[in-house]
Formats: sequence, C-alpha cells, structure tokens
Amino acid sequence: MKKIILLLLFIPLVLWGCSHDMNRRELDEISLIQVLGIDYSSEGYTLSGLYKSGGGTDSEAGGDSSSEEVVQGTGKTPYEAYEDLKHKHKKNLSIAHVGYLLIGEEAAKNGLNLCLDFLSRDETVKMELLIYVTRNSDALDFIKNGIEDKKTIQEDLEAISQKQQEFLTRNDNTLVSILNDMKRSHSSILIPYLLSEESGFLIEGYTVFDRLKLKDYLDRETSWGINFIKDIARSFPIYLDNGVGLSLSYSKAKLKSHLENNQIKVTIILDFETLIKEVNTNADIFSKEGLIFLTEEQNKYITKLLEKPVNYSLATGLDILQLARLVENQHHKKWKDFEENWPEYLYDVQYEFDVHSKVSKSFIMGNER
Amino acid sequence: MEKIINSKILKEHFSKSIDVVIRPIKITQNNITVHIFGVDGLINTELFDRAILQSFKFDKNLNDCRTERAMMDYLLSGGAYHVFTKEETDMDLLLRYVLSGMIGIIFDQEQKAIIYDIRSFEKRSISEPAEEGVLKGAKDSFIEVMRINTALIRRRIRSEYLVVESLNVGKVSKTDMSLVYISNIANMDTVNKIRDKINSIDIDNISTPAFIEEYLIENKKSLFPQIMYTQRPDRVAANLSDGRIALVVDGIPFVYLLPCQLPMLMQSPEDYANHFLIGSSLRVIRYLSMVVTLFLPAFYIAATTYQNQMLPVELALSTQAAKQNVPFSSAAEVLGLLISFEILIEAGLRLPKTVGTAMSILGGLVVGQSAVSAKLVSPAVVVIIAIAGISGFIMPNQDLSSAIRVYRFILSVLAAVGGFFGLAVGLILLIVHLCSLDNYGVAYLSPFVDVDESNHRDTLMRFPIKYFTKRPQKIVPKNRIKQK
Repeated sequence: MKKIILLLLFIPLVLWGCSHDMNRRELDEISLIQVLGIDYSSEGYTLSGLYKSGGGTDSEAGGDSSSEEVVQGTGKTPYEAYEDLKHKHKKNLSIAHVGYLLIGEEAAKNGLNLCLDFLSRDETVKMELLIYVTRNSDALDFIKNGIEDKKTIQEDLEAISQKQQEFLTRNDNTLVSILNDMKRSHSSILIPYLLSEESGFLIEGYTVFDRLKLKDYLDRETSWGINFIKDIARSFPIYLDNGVGLSLSYSKAKLKSHLENNQIKVTIILDFETLIKEVNTNADIFSKEGLIFLTEEQNKYITKLLEKPVNYSLATGLDILQLARLVENQHHKKWKDFEENWPEYLYDVQYEFDVHSKVSKSFIMGNER
Repeated sequence: MEKIINSKILKEHFSKSIDVVIRPIKITQNNITVHIFGVDGLINTELFDRAILQSFKFDKNLNDCRTERAMMDYLLSGGAYHVFTKEETDMDLLLRYVLSGMIGIIFDQEQKAIIYDIRSFEKRSISEPAEEGVLKGAKDSFIEVMRINTALIRRRIRSEYLVVESLNVGKVSKTDMSLVYISNIANMDTVNKIRDKINSIDIDNISTPAFIEEYLIENKKSLFPQIMYTQRPDRVAANLSDGRIALVVDGIPFVYLLPCQLPMLMQSPEDYANHFLIGSSLRVIRYLSMVVTLFLPAFYIAATTYQNQMLPVELALSTQAAKQNVPFSSAAEVLGLLISFEILIEAGLRLPKTVGTAMSILGGLVVGQSAVSAKLVSPAVVVIIAIAGISGFIMPNQDLSSAIRVYRFILSVLAAVGGFFGLAVGLILLIVHLCSLDNYGVAYLSPFVDVDESNHRDTLMRFPIKYFTKRPQKIVPKNRIKQK
C-alpha cells in the first residue's frame, strides 16, 4: 500500500517538475491566431495575425460579443517578425490554430521557403493549414481591408476552402503538401491566389512559383486544366456552343511518359462522365447520334482546357504539370540523364491527349426529353 | 460455558436474555421433564404448538415411553412430525441451530437434543431488482433469506449436479452461507480454493457485504471490483452454467459470483433480452461511456491547459469564450466540480427520496446555473462534468462505476500536472494494472486477452445465442461444450 501511495505522489510530482517545459497556459490566457499573413518590403518581413478578442459569449444577450483584431510584428526574417508580434501583444499568442496563411505578393516573390521555414519548425502548427497568395496586395492590407469592410475574414476563407472542396477532390495547398512539393526542386509549386472583391474573396487560379519564387499567375481556365491533369477535379461546368450545359460527375486522369532519344513524350489520358444540366436547343440531343455529338463536343471542350497548361509549360519551360515526378517514377534509371538540365527538356516535351467521355441523361420532371 | 447439552447450563448462560426461552415440559405419566430451547420471535409458535407440543401432551405412545432415550427414538421416528428433525449431541451446533431460529428439545439425562426447524421470522417478499431492472425479463430478485435465495437458483437450474454447500462464517454472528456450483461444469480447484478461503475467515461478525468481498478478492489493493454481485437469480443461473461459482450469504439480498472479469461487469441482462444487434449496440455505448466518463474531464484539462491545438479551432474559441472572466484554472474548475458532483451523489443517497429529488434539482440546476452566472465555473466545464457523470451512471455495476469515478480523479490530477503526457502515464498505469490482475487463475481482462476466438463472442459485441457454443476456457477447463 505504501508503494502505491508513494507512486501516486511521485508521479504527479515528477510531472509537475516537467510541466515547466510543457508550455502550460490556460486557454483564456492565449490569443488564438486564426489567420496569419506574411509580407515583405525593403525593411524586412511583416507578420500579421488575426485573432478574436473581446470577452467571448454574452450569455444574456445570447450572442457572440467578440471581434476580430489584427496584431502585427516586423523583423528581418519571418521568425523575427513573429517574435516581435509576440512581444508586442499583451497576451500570449498561439499559432496552433492558424487555419489560413496568406502570403503577400512581395513575400512570395522573395521566396516561399523563407516564409514557411519557421512555420514548418513549430510543433504546434497544423499541418493542414491552407496557404494562399494575395494577388496584387499585401496580406496585411488584405486582412485590414477585410476588417474595415466588416467582412469576417475567417468565415470567408472557410467558405472559400469549402467551395474548393466542392469542386476539387482535395486541397493541395495545405502546409504539408506545399512543404512536400518544395522538396522536389524541379517542379513548379502551385498555390491558389486570392482576389479581393466587393462581395468577398475569390479564388481565380494558381500562382506559379519558379525555384520557390513567385513567377506568374495562371488564369482560371489554365488552372482548371491543371486540376484535370492532377486528377483532382470533382465538379466542373461545361457549356457547349449548341446551348447544352453539362456538369462533370466523374473524372479520372492518368499520365504516361515515353522516352525516345532524350525526347519526352507524355500522354494525358482522361476519362470523364457528365450529366446534362441544361438544354436550350430544339435539336434532338437525346438520340444516339445526338449523344455521340455531345460526347465529341465535350471531349473537344476539355481537350482545349488541357491544352492550356500544356502550352503554358511549353512556352515558359515551367514544370507546372509535375512531369519531373512522373518521369522520375516511371523511368527511374534514365531520370538522372534528365535531372541536371530538366527545364531545357520541358520546352520539347511532346504531348498527346487521349480523352474519352460519356454523357448521362439527367432526370427531368414533367418533360418527355 | 460447558459443552454439555443441559438445560441448567443453558438457563444459566442465557439468564439475562429475555428472548431466549428455556421452558420445562413435564410428561406426567412417566415423570420425565424435557426442556424447550428456542428464541422468541424466530420460531413459528403456532406450528410448534400444533406439530410438537401437542404430541408431548396428548400422544399416548409418547407418554408410555419410560426413558428419555425411548422418547427420543419415538420422536425421531415420527412421533412429532416435521420436515427437518435431527438429533444433536454437539452443544455448539445446538446453539447454532437454535440461534438461527430452530427449536431444540433438550433431554438432560441423555445430554442430547432434538432439533426441529420451525423458523419463521419477518422477511421481505420477493420484489423487482432495484438496481438491475429490465423491461424484458424476469422480475424476481434475491432477498435477505439465504434459503429462499438458493431456492430461487434451484428453480432455474433443475440439474442433479447443482450443489448447494453449507458454510458458516463469523465467530459471533455465525452467518450462514451457501457455496453454489454445478459439479460437472465448475472447476473444482476453484471451488476448493473459494471454500478454503471462506473457511479460513476468522472474523467475529459479518455485518456488511464488504466483509466477505475483501476476504474473497485476490488483489486487495486494486480499485476495480474483482467479485461480482447480482440481485437477479437468472443472472446467477446463467453464470453457474458458464462454470462460475455463486456464494449466497444469509442476510445479504444479492449473490456473489466468482471468478469475475471486467467484461462481465459491463454486461446487462437486457443485452440478452433484445435482438443481438441491439444488445451489441447497447454494450458498445456502455464501453464508450466508460471511456468518456474516465477520460473526458482529464482530456478537457489537458486540452485547455497544455495542448490546446488538440481542439478544433471553433471548439477552442467557444471554450476560450466560455472561460473568460472565470478566476480559476481549468484543473481547479474540473476537480472542484468533480468533488461537488460526488458530494451531491453522497447527499442524495443519505436523504429521503422526496428530499433527494429536490436536492438534485437544487444542486444540479440551481447551484450549477448560479455558479456559471457568477462566473465561478465556465459553462463548458459544467457540460463536461455532466456528460462524464451521466456516462458513469450507465455502468451496470456500481462497484465498477465507483472505481472509475476514483480513477477519473487520478487521471484528472495527472492531466493537471502533465497534460496529455500525464494522461498517457495514467492510461499506461491503468492498462498495466488491469493486465496484472488475476482472479482465481483467470485474467481480469479475459476474454479480451484470450487467444481462443470462441471466447470473444460475448465481449464488446454480443453474438447471436447460437454462436455461444463453448464455455470460457479459463473458467471451465473441462466440459466446455454448451451447445453443438
């Protein structure tokens, strides 16, 4: 019995002793940063954190009396800026609940690795936090404008990420995905960019990084072409010239590469299915011939979409289709021949498209068609 | 007191006890005086007058007997008829019988007595089990009288192999016990071991059930119950046919079952009364509740004090908002409310039922709501403790529920000083402790830790009855087949 009593006393004492290194802080003593922005100027980095403050739930009023506030810190490096941020704020700060990281245009141009390094070394940071680039704007301005316009930035960003999930099978802009992509130096990193509109924030397309520095912004169609090739498209509208609207219901993409005399040939195989969503034509599209016509037309439509990122890659020599990984995986032995001068080979890659599709009739109420 | 059966010695010994009756009966014709020896209140006087005393007064044959021996022979061969009639020469046994409610006829010259079992004392009628009630199932429960309890068991098991062994414990109380088992199923080594343990008990009085329990459990330092009790005869019957051994104690309205394992304590008679999927679902909910009641308060402390990143952001924010302006730390709030909860339970037990209900309302709603309004505790903690408390009441066994409640405190303290690290230490200690427990040669976590697949059909999930083909291997080494 003595042993048990001693053990029961000993364990809490040992743990108590260790708890100094365990970052013991009450939840109400911490400001939980939810959105983090990183900006760069000639003076250094500015880190801005958005958190909720103000005494919490007003039980009598039955509502939430808290408000969104921004705290900022500056420094020569993002880590220095983060420490400055912590120093300036009256409460302890925690970045454990950061759900969104906004990278200002200048910071992105200065280098993605510099922005993410301190975050990747923090054991509390969520690996699934989503990263966006703020196009034509600093992240701080983006956040401040949002607050001034009485937008709830956190909720808007959440809506954006949910919308992304509606159209895509997965979010590839999580911290862990981007950090993994950064390890592959031959391919370009793609991060969605945000545009600030009056109605809220919008995702238009991808930001292209070359050697971890912002290089370009892709338009909507090129970005969607990439989504199809990356096999992450879940839902997509197709508007055909004959007045028929379709919606993607299934998509499966596969890339095959062939090497012939240092010439890379890539075949993009895409199988997809669509549902008819709108018919604004008198033509009999539900006949066998009509459906074959629709299938051919939607194949052309999607092929055009796929050609956009392909043409961009051929024109710029940027590996936005992650071909380096493809060749390395499929031709592991020969990859070493390509590795050193990989960007040069990208200009001469030959692409083939093998697009197959199927149109499904949709149920329609009170109409025979 | 001298160990000779003699009325004078008995009269002298019980001279100050007014309830003990030692009364002479003179049989006039042969001039022999015998003595009645009994306890007023424990005997059925009407039956005594009719079946025994009338024989002494009006039976001609008895009056013709010239010696005490002749009288005894006549009485024992049916002169005074009763189901239980016995000649006794041992003074200790005579005292035991008489003090348990039988009546003795003392023959001084022979230094012997004849015992008649005409016990009749006030007893509770068989009612519904208060703690183990079921909607679909038998409604009878054990009462404080051992013989009725053994009869309830025998009514359900009409096997010739059902053995009801008589034992006696307590130097002063001389409490009767029955060791019940099915001789062709139960492990006789375990039966012998339990019998030896009972026989070795050297206490003067068995006043509460805990007295017996503590002597029978193998690991006395463990919080977890290692002996199962039930109020339900059907449950005892089921366990007996599984090879377990029952112990019926006079004066205790439930029956003990041994060996006891943790999964047994999580089973309810309702599991078998319902469809197997419903029974399994209920059991899964019970296990989930055990995890919730054990870990939720500690998890809350660890998550709000150390590793807040474990909480989803919305939950972290709402918890943070709820905790604003509360002067105490999360650990103090949780531990304080846990203690308050225990006080409320304890107060509710001691109070009359009508006052107890009012107390619950006062304690749970008024004090809880006022404490939140006064910002003494955060609403989140009240919710956490309420969920943990209610989950704890789902346990079918109150001893297990109490053990979990105590261990919940330990885990909360460990979480308060070490966060999830402390919680992990507590969990490891708990698992090691449970794994180390052994109950009459059977692991406490059996059948979870058993290799034999057939043992797992009535654990976390309850399989259909047709799959219960074998008895638990560790409990019944032989005769394992239940059905083909």
